[in-house]
Formats: sequence, C-alpha cells, structure tokens
Amino acid sequence: MNSSIVVEDLYFAYNKGEEVLKGISLVFDERSTAIIGQNGAGKTTFAKLLKGLLKPDSGSISIKGIDTRNTTAAGLSRHIGLIFQNPNDQIFKSNVLDEVMFGPLNIMKEEKRARDLALGALEKVGLENELEQNPYDLTLSQRKLIAIASVLAMDTEIVIFDEPTIAQDHRGKEMIKGIIRELVGMGKLVLTIMHDMDFVAETFERTIVFSQGQVALDGSTREVFTREQLLKEAGLERPHVTRLGAKLGCSHTFLTAEEFVSFAKKCDHRGR
Amino acid sequence: METLSLYVDRDSPVHRVDPISKLLYILAATAIPIILPSLLTAAVVLAISVALLLLGRIFRRVIPLISVIVFVLLTILIIQGLFRAGNVTPLFQLGSLIFYREGLLYAVRISLRVINIMLAFAILILTTKPSDLFETLVRKGLSPRIGYVLSSVLQIIPQMQNTVGTITDAQRSRGMETEGSLAVRLRAFIPLIGPVVMSSLTQTRERSIALEVRGFSAKGKKSFLNEEIQEPYHRFIRWGLLLSIILALVWRVAA
Amino acid sequence: MKKIIVDNLKYRYPSAQELALKGISLEIEKGQFIGVIGPNGAGKSTLCQALVGLVPHFYHGAYGGSVVVDGLEVLKSEISALALKVGLVFQNPFTQVTGAKLTVYDEVAFGLENMGLDRAEMIERIDRALTLLDIYRYKDRNPFDLSGGQMQRLAIASIIAMKPQIIVLDEPTSQLDPQGSEEVFKAVDKLKSEGMTLVMVEHKIEKIAEYADKVALLSGGELVDFDRPIRVFSRPDLERYGVAAPVYTRICRDLKIKDEKTGLYPITLEGAVAAVGSLE
Repeated sequence: MNSSIVVEDLYFAYNKGEEVLKGISLVFDERSTAIIGQNGAGKTTFAKLLKGLLKPDSGSISIKGIDTRNTTAAGLSRHIGLIFQNPNDQIFKSNVLDEVMFGPLNIMKEEKRARDLALGALEKVGLENELEQNPYDLTLSQRKLIAIASVLAMDTEIVIFDEPTIAQDHRGKEMIKGIIRELVGMGKLVLTIMHDMDFVAETFERTIVFSQGQVALDGSTREVFTREQLLKEAGLERPHVTRLGAKLGCSHTFLTAEEFVSFAKKCDHRGR
Repeated sequence: METLSLYVDRDSPVHRVDPISKLLYILAATAIPIILPSLLTAAVVLAISVALLLLGRIFRRVIPLISVIVFVLLTILIIQGLFRAGNVTPLFQLGSLIFYREGLLYAVRISLRVINIMLAFAILILTTKPSDLFETLVRKGLSPRIGYVLSSVLQIIPQMQNTVGTITDAQRSRGMETEGSLAVRLRAFIPLIGPVVMSSLTQTRERSIALEVRGFSAKGKKSFLNEEIQEPYHRFIRWGLLLSIILALVWRVAA
Repeated sequence: MKKIIVDNLKYRYPSAQELALKGISLEIEKGQFIGVIGPNGAGKSTLCQALVGLVPHFYHGAYGGSVVVDGLEVLKSEISALALKVGLVFQNPFTQVTGAKLTVYDEVAFGLENMGLDRAEMIERIDRALTLLDIYRYKDRNPFDLSGGQMQRLAIASIIAMKPQIIVLDEPTSQLDPQGSEEVFKAVDKLKSEGMTLVMVEHKIEKIAEYADKVALLSGGELVDFDRPIRVFSRPDLERYGVAAPVYTRICRDLKIKDEKTGLYPITLEGAVAAVGSLE
C-alpha cells in the first residue's frame, strides 16, 4: 500500500529568526515509526506540519503525492489522522456515537457509512456499550479512548498518535499497544510522538530522533537504541531493558524483557 | 501578547506617582469641568492633561487610542454645528453649508469633556503597571479575591489563546473546514464552543484548587512582598486634587 | 514519629454512586518517601486530596473515618491551616501558576502573602526555595515562559516556601518530557534528604522502585498492600491489580534469579545487574 509521506528539506519557524525545524528530509515507508526527542526539539511542530495545520516556510511535505501547501488541513484529514493528547480539547457532542461520527461525516458525508465506521472504531477501543452516554459522564481514560476512536473512524491510511500513553496505567498502555499493532496489521502507517522509551522499543519498528530541529538519528529501533552516546546528547535515556543488557556487558541491544529472558536462558543452557 | 495591558514601561515623574493619585486625577478632571461648565475650565484641564502626558513621555501613544473617539466627536461637531435646534447665529460658511455658533459651542463643550476623561484615564492606564494598581487597591481595602481575579485575567486571557488554537487544530484535524466562505467559517464555531468552555472551566477549577492549597482562603490579614512606596509628595498631590474639587464646588455655589 | 495517620478512611464524591475510598488505613513516619501505585480509578488522587483537606472541604461529599496530619485532624481543620503542614503538587504545571504575578519570584511569594508573613521572612524563604529547586536564575522570568519541568519545580518551590513538613505529589511528571521528569525526581530526592516526608503517586514504576521507602498499592478504593517496594513488587498477583512490576523484577522473576541478600527479586537496575552476574 503506497501510504508514503515525503518530506523534503523542511524549514519552519513560528517567529522569524527562531527556526524550530532546520532542514528535515525524511521518507516514511510502511514501517511503524516513533519520533522521539526532548521537548522543544520540534516533534509536535513536525506533526502539525504533516497534518497541514501549519505550512512549511521552505521545503515541502507530500502526503500520498499531495503537497500540503496546496490543500487545507481538513482536506488532508481523509488521508492522515492525528490523535491529540487532551481529549477535552476536541469532545463537544453530547453522546459518544455522535462524537465519533463527527470526523467521518466531515470527510464522507454519507451517514450510514460514517455510522458503521464509528461503531467499528468504538468496538476496537472497547466502548461499544457506551454509545448513548455523554462523554463527560465517563472517566478521563475512557474519553482518551473516544478521542482515539474518533480518528480511527475516519479510516485514514496514516495515523499519528501524539503522546498516547501519558497518564495511562498499565492496562491502558497494553490496550493502546494492541490498537497500534492492529492498525499496523491492517496495513496502515502508524506514527507516534512519545517519551516512553520502553513502549517505543516494544512497539515501533523504526525510530527517528529529533534534536534541536534536526534529525539526529534515523533507523530501525534496535539500531537507534544502540547509539548510547548520541541519545545522551539528544537528552534521551534508553529503555530499561537496554540499559540492563549494556550494564551486563552484552553487545546485543535488547528491546523487550522477553528478548532478554530468552537470551539469558540460552546462555544458561550453554552452561555457565 | 503576554499580558493584556497598555502599560508603557518608562521612568518619568508621572510614572512615579502612586495609582491612587492618578485615580483622583480622573475624578478631578471629570468633575471640575462639570461643576464649572465654562469652556475656559475645560480647556485648562485639557492643557494640564496634555502637559502630564508629555511629561510622562506617552503623548504619542495616546493618539491612536483616542483617534476613533476624535473622529466621532468631529462628526458630532459637524452635525450640531449645522443642524442643532436653536441655531441662530451663523459663525462661518463652507460652500452652501452654514455653521452656527450655538451648535458648535455645544459640541465643543461635550468634546472637551469626553477628551478630558479619556486623557485622564490614559494617564492612569499608560503609566501604571496593572499589578501595582490592583495591589494598591487591595492595600486600601479591596477584597483580595477581586484583586486576584483582576490581576490574573490580564495574563490568563492571552494564555487561553493557546488553548483555543489547540482546540481549533484538533477539530480541523477531524475534517472541520475553517477556511472559505463566511458560512463555512461561522459553522466552524460550533465544534469550538464546547471544548473552549469546558477547558476554561477545567483550568479554572484546577487553578482554584492550586490557590486553596496555597492558603488563598486563609482568614487574617495578608501581607505584601513589595514595599509600599510612599513619597511625601504623593499625599500633597492627593490632597491638592481633593481640594481643587472642593474649591470648584465652593466657587460654583458662591458665584 | 508518625506524621500521617489514616484510619478507616471512606469517601464518596457528591455525584458518584460508589465509594472512591473504601476504608483505607495506613501510617506514615517522618522522613519517609511513600510511593502510591495502582490503576487509574483506584483512588490514588482521592487519597492525595484527603491528605490535604480538599476532601472533604473543597469537594464535599460523604466522608467517614479520619485523617490526622502532623497532629491536625483534617475533618476539623481548614485547608489553609493544613497548607502549613502538608503541601500538594499535581499533574498540570500550567494550572498551578496563579496568573496574578509577573515574575517567578513574586509567584512564590503568593502563598506567603496569604500567610501574612513580613517581608524579611518572605525574602529568606523565597530565596531558599528557589535555590533548593535550582530555579533561582529564573527568578525574574514570567512563570508562563518556563518549560514544563521548570514550571513544576516552581510549583514545588511555591509549596515548600510555606514550610510544610509533608509534601504530596500527584503524578507530577506525567506531562513532562524525560528531562523534566528527571529534574522533578532529583528535586524530590533533595527534599527527602532535607528531612521532608513525601507521598508520591506515580506510574513510572522503576522510579518508585528506586526512590521509595514504602509502597502503597491501591485498587478499587482499597489498600491492597503497604510495604517495602521489594516486597510489593515481588507479589505474583501484581498484574491482577492492574500494575506491572518494574522491568528488572519481571525479568528476574522469569529467570528465577533472586537477590542473594533479600531472597526476593531485585527491583532496580543495580540489583538486577548484581543478581544476574554476567551474560556471555
């Protein structure tokens, strides 16, 4: 599926003279990708540029061949969805189903299809029994799931998650991991901006490190987390299990606890 | 815009005067021309205000602020000069339009009063830091809660603009069009109102909790970090202003 | 010396059907760092609010049992009186800025002005608080111009300037980037070394394992466990309560490697390294 994003020599500044993004060139393929970096490195600005909410000062972004400067953000939203951090910033309907149908109606304008998509999305997040509820009568965690469903219902080929695991407990994180895996399985391009390195290591195939408005590292997640020094310079820590492997003198870069455990068990079998 | 304020940060004799004196000046500049309604009084007060503005080095800043009112007053001047009932004495002629003395005088009187009030307010607003003004009022007895609301509103409203921006972005991301015809742009308001209101309410609530745990509701007298600047001449100015109002009243009654 | 005594605390929010807290009892000693963990909805925030008097005085609702903080009974004391004994820092750095002050320095003064302190005392406390939180150099900046981590440190400074001996932090690093988080944990560690008693709600379980003296595990409004971290995290039924043990613990449990000294699974990086030995 050709769901590529091509970014060419992108420059952007909010205020003249203070460049936030300084010459970003990236091609996104089908791999699920995490964008990591300190606050202020330009990640959120980049996501907004991808979404067409901001336009490049110079350089270009093409979403499936469409240049973002030639269309509105609303126009791009049938191809690329962005799930914002705070669900309270978008929920305005008085029942869950209407809320989730808002997006698809905006881009589809056909009620039956919009309803089907909304129902499907709500099922994915486990809220199929709360259709008639007022979103503000539900918990914050449930509202986050509504926000996710609202974008999933738009059935875009590209989905960007902005900090999906903030304030989530263990179960919430596992559910989001499951949703991301399902979306990848459906052939969608999933991007995220995140600070949770453990989650990134466990879930995303490719990782891009932003530092001071530029791409500092770009590669498979394993490759990127091997570069301890560069990550430190970008102000980032590695996943806990990676650090454990390093401290034990292992040359292998571990991404998940399971990997480490099977590796260690093999070592045992070889007789310690 | 970090704070909603027109304060011009400079050091001048006018800046150094305390806020209460400037409030009393507004009172005097408004009341005296009413008590003694001669054109001379109004003109004198105007001259004093202009002098103060020049002294405070803010005269040029005032011009854009009062330009709208001046335009309106000019319109009144023309209309009253031409058409006021009771216009009998022609003063001058422009083409076929005759301007009468009575109407013009009436309009000039009103204009001077309005401009005097505006200039007096400008002196206060352009040379006083809002935080100093509110702190002085609280020292004099204004409820600290009201003082807080006044002070915080000036900073929080600009901050709210960020929130509105984020909410707009979130809805645009879901396909809501904001660019285009007027109808399109009006319809874009509806998905914004709910979240903006909710988010203001949520933030206000969280903030009031933060205030509570910092003792905001403590009974007992509050103190102030800033030292109160009490120059002796401030009292002189304040009494002087009050005295001038009283003198004006006396003059009026006696005459 | 017991700083906080919670006795059979029960609480229901006004518009709720169920109890948010169903009879919690625990005691916290002076100078301890207590981590509070549990799934969302377990009652962790409610417990924090009950320690500073927001529950019941701000939220009202139905209240049972008692909470005594440094000798003051919460039910019978005003929030402003309790604020001198126990401070609260919460998730959102932005809404903890009053908005009424134009500089960081004045912002910290806010609580002290409410207390009616004299100038000399205020200045001393503000200087000390800003220095302790390493934000003295920002003292003339507008609070809204700070980064998330700096703003949270400002919130903590504003609270400690009021000199409570106990600080409660409800997910203070939740909205911060890794660097901001690190700044907050370092600051909290410093406060602990100054003898303060700390109660922190956190999801970053590896951090709790690193810093906490004791861990309170809440679930469904009940206190499931209250013990040293190494004991709580070794529980085999932790996931049933919606909490994942630190990565190091999970790995060691799967490899059946225990810490020699304690006989339990290690919970920190150092502990795991020591227990695993070498991997070749």
